[in-house]
Amino acid sequence: MVIVGGGIIGCSVAFELAKRGRRDVLVIEQGYLTSGATGRCGAGIRQQWGSVLNAALAVESTQIFENLEEHTGYEGDCGLNQGGYLLVAYTQKEWEQFQRNLDVQHSVGVDSYAVDLEGIKGIVPHINTDGMLGACFCAKDGHADPFHCTYAYARGAQRMGVDIETYTQVLGFEVDGGRISSVKTDKGNVGANVVLNCAGNRAAQMAALVGDELPIAPERHQILITEPVAHIMSPMVMSFHRHFYVQQTPHGSVIMGIGDPSEPVGCNVRSSWQFLEHCAWLVTQTLPAFRNLRVVRQWAGSYDMSPDRNPIISEAGGAEGFFTIAGFSGHGFMVAPRTAILVANHLTGLEDSLDIKRFSASRYKEGELLLEPSVV
Amino acid sequence: MKAVEVMVIGGGPAGLCAALSAASLGAKVLLAERDGTPGGQLVKQTHKFFGSEKQYAGDRGVHIAQMLLDKARVDSNIEIWTDSAVLSIYEDGVVTVEHEGKHAKVKPGRSIIATGAAEKFLSFPGNDLPGVYGAGAVQTLMNVSGVKPAERVLMVGAGNIGLIVSYQLAQAGVKVEAVIEGAARIGGYLVHASKIRRAGIPIMTRHTILEAFGEKQVEGAVIAQLDDNWLPVAGTERKIACDAICLAVGLSPLAELAWQAGCEMAYIKELSGHVPIVNEFLESTISGIYCAGDVSGIEEASAAMVEGRLAGISVAVSLGHGGGAAEAMQREAMGELGELRAGLMGRHIREGLAKMDSLAAEFGIRNSEFKTPHAAAELGIGCEVQDISISATSPASALFSSGVPANEDIAKICPSDERFAAGPVAVVECFQEIPCNPCVKACNRGAIAMPRDINDMPALNARLCNGCGRCIPLCPGLAIFVIDMDYGEDLALVKLPYEYVPIPKAGQLALGLDRCGRELGRYEVVRVMPGGKRNMTHTVALAVPKELAMEVRAVGVL
Amino acid sequence: MENRDSETIVCRCEDVTREMILACIADGYETLDEIKRVTRAGMGPCQGRTCRQLIAAELSRHYGVSMEEVLMTTFRPPAKPISLGVLADAYASENG
Repeated sequence: MVIVGGGIIGCSVAFELAKRGRRDVLVIEQGYLTSGATGRCGAGIRQQWGSVLNAALAVESTQIFENLEEHTGYEGDCGLNQGGYLLVAYTQKEWEQFQRNLDVQHSVGVDSYAVDLEGIKGIVPHINTDGMLGACFCAKDGHADPFHCTYAYARGAQRMGVDIETYTQVLGFEVDGGRISSVKTDKGNVGANVVLNCAGNRAAQMAALVGDELPIAPERHQILITEPVAHIMSPMVMSFHRHFYVQQTPHGSVIMGIGDPSEPVGCNVRSSWQFLEHCAWLVTQTLPAFRNLRVVRQWAGSYDMSPDRNPIISEAGGAEGFFTIAGFSGHGFMVAPRTAILVANHLTGLEDSLDIKRFSASRYKEGELLLEPSVV
Repeated sequence: MKAVEVMVIGGGPAGLCAALSAASLGAKVLLAERDGTPGGQLVKQTHKFFGSEKQYAGDRGVHIAQMLLDKARVDSNIEIWTDSAVLSIYEDGVVTVEHEGKHAKVKPGRSIIATGAAEKFLSFPGNDLPGVYGAGAVQTLMNVSGVKPAERVLMVGAGNIGLIVSYQLAQAGVKVEAVIEGAARIGGYLVHASKIRRAGIPIMTRHTILEAFGEKQVEGAVIAQLDDNWLPVAGTERKIACDAICLAVGLSPLAELAWQAGCEMAYIKELSGHVPIVNEFLESTISGIYCAGDVSGIEEASAAMVEGRLAGISVAVSLGHGGGAAEAMQREAMGELGELRAGLMGRHIREGLAKMDSLAAEFGIRNSEFKTPHAAAELGIGCEVQDISISATSPASALFSSGVPANEDIAKICPSDERFAAGPVAVVECFQEIPCNPCVKACNRGAIAMPRDINDMPALNARLCNGCGRCIPLCPGLAIFVIDMDYGEDLALVKLPYEYVPIPKAGQLALGLDRCGRELGRYEVVRVMPGGKRNMTHTVALAVPKELAMEVRAVGVL
Repeated sequence: MENRDSETIVCRCEDVTREMILACIADGYETLDEIKRVTRAGMGPCQGRTCRQLIAAELSRHYGVSMEEVLMTTFRPPAKPISLGVLADAYASENG
């Protein structure tokens, strides 16, 4: 079994497979582990979703994040910090959506609640509530260290016999009698009757190599981080309407990003000055206390966008044994632990409380999109 | 968004020269300088520069900075932004600058990155104690801020920076306990080494620092000898008490803007680190972005100035300025670079630039019409290359490890007894092929010659020399002395260069020091000749016993 | 001589010691990028101007590869920290 991609998805799936006895697994990564989207992501962990499926994945994933070191036998610290997510509403429509989301979240056991402006000030005293109608808060949301989390999975998998080859390029696949038979790499061919395409924003490219067309497109998202300062803000503050998110890490630095509706499709991960200025303006409108913080770095990563901004987990039509697990559209990190279990259960014939078929790419043809109202 | 023809990033020697040459051909230039005053490292260089007249040899760095800046300030084609750090070069070509409290965006037609270098650091226990400095920081404290950085210093590294900063520390009245150097030979110019040896500062080659110690700040260092594999020899550890440790272990190119801009980079050890790959016109793999000075390979400031000039001419030409004259100017700059790099000291630079050349060819940015500036020497532009040592001293000479000329070295340059008998004569104690020729220009009588190029050692024609002493303060290495053996019955008059305070007075007694700074005796100061406002080197004439005339090489004020 | 790597600073911005770097290498990390992410070395305001070379030298020694072959981390904008307020004002002044 070959897993293409050494990000959080590839490594967590490898680990869960090994845990279920599948140890003949090779993970192939073109750079170092996390060198793609995982290592560039904001690494937020949010349970406040608007669809049952996402909320369920997030709730169970959070529980695993809470014990990830133990779960994987990792000696390091995965850096989980549960300071909550404060989702602020600026429009009536958004505020009403939040009320509906709370019902969805409560149905799967998310401990989230709505707060008024005073409540918001109680959580983030220095916030500017001008224009806000209210917010939703879940104290168990937070973020973790994407590198350590991925390594926790990778090291755990390796201990159980999984091999990981870094700095290796996948060049193509061989299909024999309708079934995947081997993976061609720049270091030679590897026989495999199952290939898991966890290549993130390059997943569509990989799938195309076996003739499978997937609607996954790369989209640049930029991010910046400031110098560290004393702790002044616990939760991630996020606005869907204004398209920003911002949080202070345990290290003290403040990390923030914005969604840009005009961002074109493409693999570009270069930074822009436009982002730097726009993000600074948006965030300091809401959090003016950050005006004197200095930016030390900006960078960009690539979301693997699907049409309904939800993952695609499905087998290729023309190549039996070729599965794609991608299209997470910017929230793959936070749902990876539970998604990996779902995939591993499916591949090892175990039952799962979640229905993996809901993530099939066929949903686009059948018009059964997994609509998610709450993404940046 | 501000549009400019040429943006020069960094106002050091390379940047100032780049701005001046581009502007002289008619290009409109914006120069962005991080500090309050342009000049870069030049402003702290209180010593005289080497090289030739074209690179302002014989002038002190701080004066060169002033001269270049004075020219730039009155040039209507140059706009200077000070206190303006360039932050980034983005994919769309926009250069961002923090200028007057604003995030300024500049869209240049061409950019010249002339950001210079950063000091390298060493890892040893205690290396974060207060009192562990980079040599450049110590220079800034002393020469820019006027702050005495410490009382007793250990200097780590005997390259030019380590030697020069040690000299400046001594001038500031700081005791330099020792200069230690890991290599078997002194890396900097031997004339700099000899200068600090005369000040009594020991140089210990094949030695390294093992640790810095102290409660709240540096109280001392443990040093040890190194074996041939650069490993400390057990049992050779010794403590040196000091309140500052100064690291002068090399520079690395400050090339982050080139990384950001997406220039192809390569690690070239001879150029001291990761450098942007540039072609013969100093253009990088990103069209329109040029790199000049230390950012594309660590060299002396003289080379940085010529590189800046070459880059400035080249961007102006590429923008359609300059006409027919430009090509000749490019060739001239290339010839000068070839000359500066032609000698023995330029050997590693030539090796590094040969690698650079093949990488540039690999990336398809070489322009075949022109010879490369660095290969110019090989190709016969400007000068010949000296590949094999023709040094008067054998490489094994103790001079290379101690900084003190050995008897056999002195024997080779010592005028004959007949010549001494005929009247005052110069003694030129310069034993290394370095690119430097002010002594040749200094002599009206043509008594000092360099037959091939500025990398030659000066050859004194003692017959033509009349001992006038004009060359003494003009030698940037302070390596020329004049001896009049016929001054008195038993006394010889030795004329010595002097750059310390206080200045001795005629009629006083002063200490005569030998080449290791040891006291030989107290002798009468016969005359003191000031070097003038610009030169600033005094010539002190000391009456010493005849038999010590070839021993006394420095003056100590009582 | 006693091992004092824990008192030897490699990354001055983030207080990363030589001991931490050597532990990473012993732990199997092979690249500067990985060591940067595990230890934060090079993540400070100077982005590794000095520590990159020191860590690269350790990697070169341990894995027996030349410095040319050690993969470098990239420098990201900005080269010098700049305040959010200055950036925000630039946006406001140009976008009403």
